Amino acid sequence: MNLKNITTALAVASIAPLGAEQLDVEKDELKFGFIKLTDCAPIVIAKEKGFFEEEGLQVEVIAQPNWKQLLDNVITGELDGAHMLSGQPIAATIGFGTKEHIVTSYTLDLNGNGITVSNDIWEQMQENDEKLDSPTPPHPITADSLKPIVDEAKEDGKKLPMGMVFPVSTHNYEIRYWLAAAGINPGFYTSTDLKGFTDGDIELSTTPPPQMPATLESGKNVAYCVGEPWNQQAVAKGIGVPVVTNYDIWKNNPEKVFGVTKSWADANPNTHIAVTKALIKAGKWLDAEEDGKLINRDEACRILSQPNYVGADFDIIKNSMTGYFFFQKTDKREMPDFNVFFKYMASYPYYSDGVWFLTQMRRWGQITEPKPASWYAETAKSVYLPEVYMSAAASLIEEGSLTAEEVPAEDFDGYKEPTTDFIDGIEFDGKKPIEYLNSHKIGNKDPESLATQ
Amino acid sequence: MSDSPKDKIKYGILKAVDISGFKVLDPPVRLLFGEEPQKQVKDIAKYLLLPTLFVSLCILIWHIAGPNHKTKSGEVPTPGKVLEAYADARRFDERENEKERAFNLTGQDRLDEIKLVEKELVELEQKAAALQEKSAEVAAAAKVTLASKIDPIQARYDALKAQNKAAKQKRTEALDLLAEQVASKDASPEALIALVKKNALVEEKEGEAESVLKDKMDLIRDNPPVEVKASQLAANKIEDEVQHYKKRLAILTKENLSIKREALLAKAEEDSAQLAAATTGKEALKEAKSVVRNSERAESTSEQVYARTATIFWQTKRSIATVFVGFIIAAVIAIPLGIMCGLNRIFMACMTPIISIFRPVSPVVWLLIFQIVIGAFFLPDPASHPLFLFMNDALNPLAFLQTNPAMIFSASTVAMCALWPALVNTALGVSAIDKDHLNVAKVLKLGFWSRLFKIVIPSSLPLVFAGLRISLGVGWMVLIAAEALSSSDGLGKFVWDEYQNGSSQSFANIILACFVVGVIGFFLDRLMIILQRLVSFDDGSATA
Repeated sequence: MNLKNITTALAVASIAPLGAEQLDVEKDELKFGFIKLTDCAPIVIAKEKGFFEEEGLQVEVIAQPNWKQLLDNVITGELDGAHMLSGQPIAATIGFGTKEHIVTSYTLDLNGNGITVSNDIWEQMQENDEKLDSPTPPHPITADSLKPIVDEAKEDGKKLPMGMVFPVSTHNYEIRYWLAAAGINPGFYTSTDLKGFTDGDIELSTTPPPQMPATLESGKNVAYCVGEPWNQQAVAKGIGVPVVTNYDIWKNNPEKVFGVTKSWADANPNTHIAVTKALIKAGKWLDAEEDGKLINRDEACRILSQPNYVGADFDIIKNSMTGYFFFQKTDKREMPDFNVFFKYMASYPYYSDGVWFLTQMRRWGQITEPKPASWYAETAKSVYLPEVYMSAAASLIEEGSLTAEEVPAEDFDGYKEPTTDFIDGIEFDGKKPIEYLNSHKIGNKDPESLATQ
Repeated sequence: MSDSPKDKIKYGILKAVDISGFKVLDPPVRLLFGEEPQKQVKDIAKYLLLPTLFVSLCILIWHIAGPNHKTKSGEVPTPGKVLEAYADARRFDERENEKERAFNLTGQDRLDEIKLVEKELVELEQKAAALQEKSAEVAAAAKVTLASKIDPIQARYDALKAQNKAAKQKRTEALDLLAEQVASKDASPEALIALVKKNALVEEKEGEAESVLKDKMDLIRDNPPVEVKASQLAANKIEDEVQHYKKRLAILTKENLSIKREALLAKAEEDSAQLAAATTGKEALKEAKSVVRNSERAESTSEQVYARTATIFWQTKRSIATVFVGFIIAAVIAIPLGIMCGLNRIFMACMTPIISIFRPVSPVVWLLIFQIVIGAFFLPDPASHPLFLFMNDALNPLAFLQTNPAMIFSASTVAMCALWPALVNTALGVSAIDKDHLNVAKVLKLGFWSRLFKIVIPSSLPLVFAGLRISLGVGWMVLIAAEALSSSDGLGKFVWDEYQNGSSQSFANIILACFVVGVIGFFLDRLMIILQRLVSFDDGSATA
């Protein structure tokens, strides 16, 4: 009798989180891929904290060796969905690289990348700019002090080798942005040069994130742009100095998304919503604050440091995840917004984010033809699915695990307000892609007439 | 040689020892049976004791030399660290078992387990807190020591920098003055050039002095006291355990299969009660649908399987399975082709260019080609491809391998690379058959098939098996590379993932995997030796 009471009590207790409105999922055993970076956190947390379970999903989370393989595995159906670079669904959809219509209903995080230079380059930068020669130099650091080094190397007939993680990754656009803002030409893609070296003052090539520190050590790269924990790893191992984070390059920039193929999304609409619901819960859990302190991040780092997830040492993951960032061993700074998973309505899939990535692809020549402004809007709308996000949010609001203030209003048009929060202060308005393209000094420019087409 | 039963046993054992290729065990066996004790003891010392000592010496050298080689990814792990890594791998595997158990437990067992886990969790949390405290103390102490070491140098560095800056200012002034004088023809241009040169030299020297101090500080910062890291790692280990217990508890109370099922059934029951009380048709229909949905969901829930995380043990099994799949494909293709090559010189001439060109191609290239070519067969939904449905659902005992396209790619790569040694050796074996044998066949007027099965194959078997042995060895080596590249689960992926993890444990784990690969490779080779001996004409007598 007693025993039965306990069982029923537990059963009743577990009905609440299971929720009356659990969706009718089409597929309940799923496989998601990820790359060993801390920003895969929402997917890992949704699994480990049981948010997928609450939606009736059994999810396997599998590490992938590199972004290309990850995308291929999603396309072949080996994986149901994955942690993707924001540029990946867009590039795949427009056919730069592998062609496949990929969609996203959830932005995993904002910020979270850094640019690290080798010790040698850092010393030369310090020589060029005396202000940097201090245990705690003033931030943000621009590439101005790097320019003389690049020029000198070029005079010697050498282009400094630098690394980024993938041709359509945020990192590629960020390090290009940072360099170009200081007048260093990072090189262009053309229809025949798919490496993006044309006219460059430097040579920016692809290296998978986990190998970044090793390439710095071996001299294959003198600088790189990568997500965490690979900048903090460089500090911990004493092989390089992170000079700038992407928070300084573009404040609260979108970073990774959760991507699935269009055909998968069409075949499994309810599962897609259920997954999005779990991810929203995970994002909210990650950003939960009490008295201005992120309360769940320690536990998140503990989970991420398991060898089957990110697997780096707990202390290294903790550096950036708990609101700090080590620029040097002597220079630990508070960066509460280094990883944003949910606040500022971060996880909503904004059309304007898609437009920004498209403008960068055009700026550096990955999109070889000039396109009209309307094309930018249409492409963004075919990749970003705020309607899925909003139905997931509506269902969570109904269950009481989310409030209406935490997500954009029903009639929101999907475009962020114009912003000038860039390192060079140039304004970006998602509705004016052509004007934005033409406002940069270095980069492809398109005829103004396209702005109204 | 008498034929006493004792001798029979003795020679039986000796033969087994010989066939399995462990000939070093021969003297101890003979000694056990009292055959020429002196000679055996001598042999044991020579062939068993000395090699053991040598290996021990190697391990000792490793133990001593390892920690002295410091890399940026930590020092080379000692044998002890590798053993520790093995223990951790075991623990990781156990954790998965515990979680799976928690997922499947029902009734009273589940409640008992909850109590147990809760109790242990409390203890663990206390332990973790104590260790964290200690670690914080150690870190604080180390910080003080570090400051006491760094501060004087920093002060000296700052002073030196200020001094150099002042000196530079002075030199610049002197230089400007001299330049003015040169312009007004009061001083010789040579003097100005000399001064510029001299200044550059002085500046370089000053810079060097500065960087010496800076390097000193960096060196101190880069080498924090070992106990800081050690105490932090100790605390982390327990914290990991705490995390695991929390997860276990969550599975037991929330994610458990029976709980989920009961909740859904309870919901269905509730709905049917509401259905009975429904007053409008619309309401009744809604409730009826809900009943059906929840009972269906309860049904499908009970088929759910716990999503296990890959561990090194499972990955080892999968690698072995993959290598055999590849090896068998290779053998099935290579042996008939090899026989045809051996029998027919024209066919051999046709095959030679193909063999010569494709044999040296790197496995990595094959893997990429297979990924593209074979991958196309499984589109668009590999999970419902008949092959995988058969392997993962119908063939129950093999379902644990989770066959997927990546495994097929790896196996094909293994097959492609393992093909050649078997093919070449078979051809060689067939063409080297004693002419007399073939003549006998002619005399007896044997048909093609009986000639093939009675003469050709039996007499070429030893060489065929020698080729297969090389093939399996090549296949095993190739597989690890293929898995690392294709992220097909297995030891290769384990090594690659660990390399990517880059944690303080990773290096030890990679070396652990290195030994696992080596030991398994050794046993695979032994297996082939046994097969080879069994088919050889000389019946594997102890003296062979």
